[in-house]
Amino acid sequence: MVEGFFKSMASLRHAALALAAAVALTGCGDTGANETWDPLEAPNRFVFSINRAVDTIAVRPVAVLYRDWMPAGGQRGLHNVLENLGEPVTAINEVVQGAPSRAATTMGRFLINSTIGVAGLFDVASAIGLAKTREGMGDTIGYYAGVEPENGGFYMILPVIGPSNARDGVGLAIDAAVDPFSIITFGISRTAGWIYSGARYGATMIDRRSRTLFALDDLEKNSVDFYAALKSAYTQQRADFIRQKRDKTGPRAELEQRDKVALVR
Amino acid sequence: MLLASRRAFLCLAAATAVARPAHAADDPAAQLIEKVAAEVIQLIKTTTGAQREAGIRDVLVRYFDLPYMGRAALATHWQATSPDQRERFLKAVVSAEARAYSERFGQYGGQTLNVTRVTQRPNGVSVVDSKLTQSDGQPINIQWEVRDSGQGLRITDVKIEGVSMVMTRRSDFNSYISNHGGKVEPLIDELEARAKR
Repeated sequence: MVEGFFKSMASLRHAALALAAAVALTGCGDTGANETWDPLEAPNRFVFSINRAVDTIAVRPVAVLYRDWMPAGGQRGLHNVLENLGEPVTAINEVVQGAPSRAATTMGRFLINSTIGVAGLFDVASAIGLAKTREGMGDTIGYYAGVEPENGGFYMILPVIGPSNARDGVGLAIDAAVDPFSIITFGISRTAGWIYSGARYGATMIDRRSRTLFALDDLEKNSVDFYAALKSAYTQQRADFIRQKRDKTGPRAELEQRDKVALVR
Repeated sequence: MLLASRRAFLCLAAATAVARPAHAADDPAAQLIEKVAAEVIQLIKTTTGAQREAGIRDVLVRYFDLPYMGRAALATHWQATSPDQRERFLKAVVSAEARAYSERFGQYGGQTLNVTRVTQRPNGVSVVDSKLTQSDGQPINIQWEVRDSGQGLRITDVKIEGVSMVMTRRSDFNSYISNHGGKVEPLIDELEARAKR
């Protein structure tokens, strides 16, 4: 009995040592090697094919026309207006992320661009050194969640919007709910709210699609399974964005910060 | 006491995490990336069409560890392939990548590539961070993985804005294989058919 106990302890210790050795050998660099969790693959592929049909028939042609016929200044202006409308939500997220100074910069950008920048048409704030940041609730959740940022919950394809996952889907819903502009317009009347939201999201879709034409065409042409390639690329890009945010507040950034202070002294 | 141990922890973290960010310019990995960038820009300026594609293929073969990348992209399926299949697979992948890259570079409009930092990982991989500066718009972050696998320094992965070429290929290929009865042969056939197009 006792002997058996010691034997099992010994084998446990061996197992632990083997595990430690395996961890040491593989190192910590190879994170995210596993595939994205996709339990809804069949329905996702279905929605994906519908999205692609809608894209081919309606969204893509408009985006191509927009890219090729709209003057570059006009494209930049519309892009700036849409980005400016997103600033308050970014600021809210930065507050939740515990970065009040960045939130203040973002609100400063919003006030300057909305007034001097003529309702956001011109990005005056960037020109005077207020850097643009873009944060959504998906990033905030990812920032606080104690898991690898590759793990955003199950993957899903949203109708019209496209690739997302549990984390980013919930984030989108919260962002939409706290957006001051939709609260104000829906406060005026239901119709005003829908007109505002429809115009804004329609314009955002065309703006974004015209900017991703080349990258998405490239990915589609050079993959044997476009669905899987896009899933991987989406997961990696989101994870990279969230990881950078986390690293900024890690021990490494803290040390770099100290080095800078030491150099100044 | 608490402060001292905290400092010790930070030092330890520094030793492991900040694996000496070397001076970018005189690091051999950085020099490799700069050489490749210069050669590619020269190619784009002087050649077009099939000639450019051949040039790009030459650059890929000389500076990229393509067998390693192919093996990584096939992941667990690599073990299940015969030497003949491996050869056909790698050949088809090289053709596909050469064509893809020469098309991508067709969009070239005077961008410049600047190496910003080199980080050495403990497993012998150098990670070279670089920025592709465009005439308009935001710079694009490109990260290169460089390692020496017995034939001098070679590039083993390219990450554009956090998206790894090898990782994306791996998901792509894996999904195709599992949707075709878990066999590698249909994938190789598909890649070969695409190379002929």
